[in-house]
Amino acid sequence: MFTKIKDAIKTNKKTDTQSVLQAYNVRKSFGSKGNVQQVLKGIDLRVEKGEFVGIMGPSGAGKTTLLNVLATIDRATEGTITISGSDISKMKDAQLSAFRRDRLGFIFQDYNLLDTLTVKENILLPVSLGKVRKKLAEAEFRSIADILGITELANKYPHEISGGQKQRTSAARALINQPSMVFADEPTGALDSKAASSLLGTLADVNEKREVTIMMVTHDPLASSYCSRVVFLKDGNIYSELYKGNKTRQAFFQEILNVQAVLGGDSVDAL
Amino acid sequence: MTLFDLAIRSMRKNIKHYYLYFFALILSVVLYFVFATLQYDQAIVEQGNKMISSAFLAAGILLIFIAGIFIVYANSIFLKRRSREIGLYQLIGLKKRTVARLLIVENTLLGIGALIVGIVIGMLVSRVFLLLLLKLIGFETTISVSFSIEAVLQTIAVFIGIFALTTIQMIRTVYRNTLLSLFNTEKAGEHPKKPKTSSAAVLAVAGILLIGFGYWLSERMFDANFFLNISGVLISTIAGTYLTFRVTLSWLLYKIRSRKEGHLGLNNSLSIAPLMHRLKGNANSLTIITILSAMTLSMIAGAYSFYYSTEQEAQAKMPFDFIFENEEAFASEISAEMKEKGIDFQQGIVEILVTEGQLEEGALAVPSDPLYIAVASDEQLQKAGIEIEAPGTNSASLHSTSSLSMFMDNERLPVDLYLQDVKEPIEIEAFGEGNVINWETFYTQVVVNPKKYEQLKTDLAAKGSAEIRRIDGFHILNDEDLEEASALYHQPKYNGKNPRQDYYSTVKEGMESNGLMIFIAGFLGLVFLVSTGSILYFKQMTEAEQEKQSYSTLRQLGFSVNEIMQGIIRKQIFVFGLPLVISLVHSFFALKALSYFFQTNIMVSAATVMILFAIIYLLFAFLTVGYYRKTVKMALR
Repeated sequence: MFTKIKDAIKTNKKTDTQSVLQAYNVRKSFGSKGNVQQVLKGIDLRVEKGEFVGIMGPSGAGKTTLLNVLATIDRATEGTITISGSDISKMKDAQLSAFRRDRLGFIFQDYNLLDTLTVKENILLPVSLGKVRKKLAEAEFRSIADILGITELANKYPHEISGGQKQRTSAARALINQPSMVFADEPTGALDSKAASSLLGTLADVNEKREVTIMMVTHDPLASSYCSRVVFLKDGNIYSELYKGNKTRQAFFQEILNVQAVLGGDSVDAL
Repeated sequence: MTLFDLAIRSMRKNIKHYYLYFFALILSVVLYFVFATLQYDQAIVEQGNKMISSAFLAAGILLIFIAGIFIVYANSIFLKRRSREIGLYQLIGLKKRTVARLLIVENTLLGIGALIVGIVIGMLVSRVFLLLLLKLIGFETTISVSFSIEAVLQTIAVFIGIFALTTIQMIRTVYRNTLLSLFNTEKAGEHPKKPKTSSAAVLAVAGILLIGFGYWLSERMFDANFFLNISGVLISTIAGTYLTFRVTLSWLLYKIRSRKEGHLGLNNSLSIAPLMHRLKGNANSLTIITILSAMTLSMIAGAYSFYYSTEQEAQAKMPFDFIFENEEAFASEISAEMKEKGIDFQQGIVEILVTEGQLEEGALAVPSDPLYIAVASDEQLQKAGIEIEAPGTNSASLHSTSSLSMFMDNERLPVDLYLQDVKEPIEIEAFGEGNVINWETFYTQVVVNPKKYEQLKTDLAAKGSAEIRRIDGFHILNDEDLEEASALYHQPKYNGKNPRQDYYSTVKEGMESNGLMIFIAGFLGLVFLVSTGSILYFKQMTEAEQEKQSYSTLRQLGFSVNEIMQGIIRKQIFVFGLPLVISLVHSFFALKALSYFFQTNIMVSAATVMILFAIIYLLFAFLTVGYYRKTVKMALR
């Protein structure tokens, strides 16, 4: 069975070079002997270049665990994960670190900005080891700060700006190294609805204009209505998927609500 | 669950926070107890030296101050770390009074524990310290450290006092703070502001200039305005140091940072940025640490130099083992006595002309009074076993170990010496190192060649303005006879108009008092160094805790532990290196100024102390870096 999967990956690589992320049979369990809890029970997932994928599901469905495993922060117990052709499940810790730094971007729920650095210094952190030429980095910073509307804030410290602005800064930091993929964990979790919509609009914009592939974990149906595809998890398995296609955002939002109603958990009453 | 149970439980859960404070307590108890034990030890008490016991008393009081400040400081860091917990107790409805009682119970338990552990460890190590002390004093007896109940009681009394202080401190934290401030203390940190360029630049430069001026002044403070000068030196170096930490450093860092235009780089993000973030709060403690380190360092190096140079100083003052001046009868009597006892010796006879003289204006750094002068010829001195270079035809060398020698500056040579009633001055071509005749004669000694000596003798003796005196100087040839010969010399029958002083007993007394001084200085220095090192270490531990979130973010962004550590090590180079380097330079200049008091070169001893000091400092820096490494590693699971 294992060889089959490997073959599948190989053929996939040949036929479809557009796939940014491929995950096969990803399993993750926690705990030690006798008390093992399986959180991910064999997930297969493929993300194409330029997709904006939302991951939804009730609490405990394994959303964040999946994100962490796919984003190389945590290791899968079993399964194969390939990002842009590199098999991350075989990499060593040091290689993983370098991979994260060079190829991935992260947006966290509580921004995780360094208090001691200005907005600009925070954004430039991922390219701070000096491997990228200063001129290039500066140009990239300008274009991203412009899209995210934070050019004016460049020399401010995190404590001087609002939550929405912090999250934009965090997003800019995720984009500065032109990553293959951006992972966002509840990016709107700490924002009010206005700041949240504005941020999501910008993310969708960036996704479209710069063809950045984004994967976002959220429990908020409104947030996921900005995605091009929403994957629903339940008890460690993929429950269903929704594509936005040509639908309006409102219609897509309604569809998401419907699925959530069936799924149960932390759903409708959240509205 | 009773309050006592709660206290025990919270201590067990919080062991990580407690061990730091507990360590500080134990360390202070151990050091104080060792000191108290020595103070009451029979071997020392029996010495019966009044100076010893008063030195111990003074040092003991100083020690209480250092220990008190150290513990109160450690406690304040400890309380800051726990402020959230204290707030939480109040949030869930415990009365302030109950929370305070909880803390008092904890503090009492910790205090009793620290006292017991500290006294036990103290008993084990005090023997080592006693042996060291006796060795330094040059006392060779086999001794056993007796258990001293007085020392135990004294230690307990002192620390009950200090614990009372920390208890008050804890109660204040509970009562004086609002819930909100308790929850926010961990986050507290200043935010660097843009310095006002013009005034900051002026102050930044002023800091450096003040230090420079202090150094410059210390080089030339030995003149008529000595006390004015020394206060000028102290004020300008201390103010300069403060400005350097408070303004110059932040101004420089700000300049570096703004030049980077946001492209700070990982290393700077982990060093310059957090340093600037906390510079205001750290400036005070860094200044105090630097100044006190410099003082301690100078004190120890000075004491060690005294100790180290005891023999050389005595040698310089007393080229003969002992002398008789115009006491020929005593000289021949003691020769007979020594022959009888089988002591090998060499007797030298030197004739001197005793007169008054005056150095030319500007020969010394201070205006000089008329001098009481002994003129001798180099030939006679050579014969008597004093090694000396022969002066030229019309010139001489000047020898003194009195206060005069502090102002003898080779750069002013040659200078003219006018002897009483002689028109033509003698040209002094060299200031000699040490005396040519033992210093108990109090003469400033001038050595000329035999021809000149004869000429002066005829001139002066004819006019009756000089007196011819005879010096009988003795060298004991075998070192093991020194003690016996010294005893013979000190027999009452040889008493003269001045108290008898000889080489052997001077060295012995010097060893005793300087040995004690170096021991006490070293002990206090050790206590002080360990305290300041620990304070820097504790501070950094707290900072590491506060920055944990940053490290986990950086790890998630894909920076490896080693890459992050590079930046952190750079920060530690600042935190530990800057006070160390500045205090080393401070004490270098302090010792350079102090060296006027020494006849001998103190480079070796001062360098030894400085290197030791730096090594202990580095140990704390390594501990800190180790703690950071652990924190960074743990930051991502």
